Amino acid sequence: MSVVLNRGQKRRRTARPGRTLFALVTHTIRMQLRGVIIWGAAIGLYGAAMVASFTAIEGSADQLNQLMEAYPKGMLEAFGVTDLGDPANYLHSQVFGLAPLALSFFPILALANALAGAEERGTIDVLLGNPLPRWQLVAGNFLAGAVSLLGICAIVGLLTWGTAVLVDVELSLREVAEAVLNLWPICIVFGALALLCSASFHRRSLAIAIPAFLLFGMYLIDTIGRVSEDLEDWRPFSVFYFYGSAIENGIDWTHFGSITLVALALLLLATLVFRRRDIYT
Amino acid sequence: MSLAIETEKLTKAYGRRARGIEDVDLAVDEGEVFGFLGPNGAGKTTTVRTLLGFLRPTGGRGEVFGLDITKDSVEIRARVGNLPGEFALEDKMTGEGLLKYFARLRGVGDLGYAHEISERLGAELHRPMRRLSRGNKQKIGLVQAMFHRPPLLMLDEPTGGLDPLVQEEFLDIIEEVKAEGRTVFFSSHNLAEVERVCDRVGIIRGGRLAAVETTETLIDKSFRHVVLTFAEDVDKEPFAALSGVRNLRGDGKRISFTLYDDPDEMVKLAAKHTLVNMEYERPSLEEVFLTYYERENGEVR
Repeated sequence: MSVVLNRGQKRRRTARPGRTLFALVTHTIRMQLRGVIIWGAAIGLYGAAMVASFTAIEGSADQLNQLMEAYPKGMLEAFGVTDLGDPANYLHSQVFGLAPLALSFFPILALANALAGAEERGTIDVLLGNPLPRWQLVAGNFLAGAVSLLGICAIVGLLTWGTAVLVDVELSLREVAEAVLNLWPICIVFGALALLCSASFHRRSLAIAIPAFLLFGMYLIDTIGRVSEDLEDWRPFSVFYFYGSAIENGIDWTHFGSITLVALALLLLATLVFRRRDIYT
Repeated sequence: MSLAIETEKLTKAYGRRARGIEDVDLAVDEGEVFGFLGPNGAGKTTTVRTLLGFLRPTGGRGEVFGLDITKDSVEIRARVGNLPGEFALEDKMTGEGLLKYFARLRGVGDLGYAHEISERLGAELHRPMRRLSRGNKQKIGLVQAMFHRPPLLMLDEPTGGLDPLVQEEFLDIIEEVKAEGRTVFFSSHNLAEVERVCDRVGIIRGGRLAAVETTETLIDKSFRHVVLTFAEDVDKEPFAALSGVRNLRGDGKRISFTLYDDPDEMVKLAAKHTLVNMEYERPSLEEVFLTYYERENGEVR
């Protein structure tokens, strides 16, 4: 079975790997643009509303803090409430402590869609009819999801900080920037898990359900672990344990890097799994 | 002549889930139009998807232009224009957007040929896919498979959903592709289309390649549906006694049957009466398969 390619066929070369990857990433980001705006606006407007609501409670912060003292200390700790008169703590407890629960669904949905979703829709055969290596399909979708997520974080940050400037709440751009940037690794890690599930199974629903289950499971372990001694030892198994409050304390770059490394490890695993498996439509 | 596609005992087993393909030995010459035929579920799509590296073979081996289907999948896909049988296109995209995207993935700078074939097929490039009919999506599918002038076209049911005029234009394009010395590997259920453009035909059934024939041989092995209408009532028994006549039905002036033999005797017998109308139809491809396999097995219907 030795066939030598003729001159015309030899000349036919695939596009450079970097070029195909760039084309894939830019195309995917373009396709996600509307979603980025919608997600960014939704969470950003919620953040803006919380900033605006701070002006209403700012004057009665002392009374509110006294009222809060009546609550069990562990419960307040669980929700990150320490001083409601501090805009940074108020926003952490009302927005940034909860935001990963909502925002993680953007990369989860996008990356579950990338492989298993494309198989279910029947679009993957046409796309992979092009000289696109499988690893690029996995990595390209991850990159696009990561960049889009960063875009959402930027919109959330701008709406939150812009509102703070407008209503004269003392909140620096740096504090808000660190808070929204700190959302990125914790959300992308669940996206990477969705990508691994998407690469492993042929069903989009599984690729959504598994990371969603882990997202809420980890959140509950960390939250309840703060008040329950039984679950305290389990907290390090939750990614939320390493999340912290960047708006108050700045980004913990060790944790930021560690969570990002976990996401990259999941990406690598997804690439290896997807390279070996059959593609069904 | 060198080979565009060659497989040796190519096997893809799905386990208990579904039947795959088994020991498929296929050799498609460069520059020929090869029809790959078989009933639904016979293994046509599995063969194509295994050749393109979407499915991992569980046995045997295959090459496209001498490139290994498991190791050189990306290189192979650079040389192949593929139209999947069951395909979908991203709803939000327009045909133009899709072609530009695929041109970037392939490193193709000029979309002149894409626009030329789009115009010939009447493809609507500026409407989102979700607003296109099945036929119009099929046109976009054909354009994306052909726009980069690949040395090998793999087309699964390429004329499904197309109106007859567009089918005709598509077959003209295939003849041009053949004249340029490029290879076409396509599956179809349309016998007339296969007869018109294919040099050879491979028949797959139950996941195994049953035969590879020239198109003429395949047609010769088929039969014809005959319906005769006379001016007066006619005795059907002489027709039933003719060689190769099966499934005869008659109700006086109208007689219908399937003819597995030459039409000469039947025409001479019919000419003894006043013949008002004669229908002499080619069978469907599925029917040809059944006949073909029954003959292969020594059965007579």
